[in-house]
Amino acid sequence: MTLRRVVVVGNGIAGLSACDALRSAGFDGRLTVVGAEKHQPYSRPALSKALLHGEDQLSAHQLPDPSHGAEEILGVAAAGLDTVANLVRLDDGTELPYDGLVIASGSSARRLGGADSPELTLRTIEDAVALKNRVATGSPTVIVVGGGALGMEIASGALQQGCRVTLVSDVQPLSRQLGSHLSGVFIDAARRSGLRFVTAGKARLAGTAQAPAVALQDGVVLSADVVVSTVGDEPNTAWLQDSGLLTGGRLLADSRGRVGPGIVAAGDVAAFPGAGGHGRVPLWTSAIEQAKTAALGLLQGDAAPELSFQPYFWTEGFGLSLKVAGPAPMTGKPSFAETGTSADSMLLRWEDADGRGTAAALNYRIPVPKLRRLANLGPSALRPAVRV
Amino acid sequence: MRIELDRPRCEGHGLCEEAAPELMHLDDDGELVIDVPEVDGADLAAANAAVRICPVAALRLAS
Repeated sequence: MTLRRVVVVGNGIAGLSACDALRSAGFDGRLTVVGAEKHQPYSRPALSKALLHGEDQLSAHQLPDPSHGAEEILGVAAAGLDTVANLVRLDDGTELPYDGLVIASGSSARRLGGADSPELTLRTIEDAVALKNRVATGSPTVIVVGGGALGMEIASGALQQGCRVTLVSDVQPLSRQLGSHLSGVFIDAARRSGLRFVTAGKARLAGTAQAPAVALQDGVVLSADVVVSTVGDEPNTAWLQDSGLLTGGRLLADSRGRVGPGIVAAGDVAAFPGAGGHGRVPLWTSAIEQAKTAALGLLQGDAAPELSFQPYFWTEGFGLSLKVAGPAPMTGKPSFAETGTSADSMLLRWEDADGRGTAAALNYRIPVPKLRRLANLGPSALRPAVRV
Repeated sequence: MRIELDRPRCEGHGLCEEAAPELMHLDDDGELVIDVPEVDGADLAAANAAVRICPVAALRLAS
């Protein structure tokens, strides 16, 4: 069947990439994109990096204007899906008929307390501006709960804005993301920047809106002017509750992004098949690759290529800039290390038990394709090819 | 269309090179070089993909 009307639910980088990919693949029918946020798509990774760290970088997240020519419905969320009548219901009561649907509704910040709790989170541009205003005014004391890349980036940004910052986590920060070696490098740099670490099991919110606090498992209560929680994200699947598409609450896609007849999914909301079963991969590059895969999956079905994706992600903070290509976290010490132009500039490689490689560039400018070659082929990939 | 680079924004990820290797590359110092600044026809799709994948919006297409 030739599709005439495609609806894309979600206007983040996954929804935007899906619209672009549909057009690139020749879809010239009616295209409608629905975004819960009232903005054009922006770069979420930039919120906790350039925007939070900079003096006046309020444009760091802005992306070029879309060119897909879709009808845009912004500031309205999807509220329900009827897969029999092929209708998306919006929270303003509008019903959108479709014959092809892309689900790219993203995810939301998980909270320690309820919706009214005093904790700040960082997911949207509004969150980022509120956080930036809070930490950039009057040097408040800050507690960051959660030791992932987002928590560490926020801690770094708050330190740079002159705050006293404590980071509370249940395990060694960044160890789940980077493994012991590189997380150690970041923790050393963070300590030198003045970050205080508390590693103490699951934390919960305590205190009041005026005087927020964090209670540790051993009963110790830490108070601060500002509490920021970075304890993961939850896929935005509530609107799919009655759709019949969820399996145990999860939206499981096949290797071409398909979740049902005429329906594909991409980005933070979707779990794609991977090495360890289905899983969400909430990364910038993953959202883009999944969206391209899903767009072709919708248009071409079994003839479309399967998702082929090697993780790539980056983080910044405490004077360090890190890029990683390949599976993570990395176990143990790297088997290859090369110093770059300065003492803290390193190119590293690990190989896991299955022979899969991961490459990391620390304060080292290297194109992603070259970093991927180092990950996949080892150090020989760094030497220029010999012309015969 | 013309590919324009806002150099101070570029963080050297090189995702653009991966999307459009015929049009741009990072040199040995990790600086982005636009090899084909003027694009049309078949190159437009690749140029668009390169502009779109940049997480810091250092690239844009101008007419």
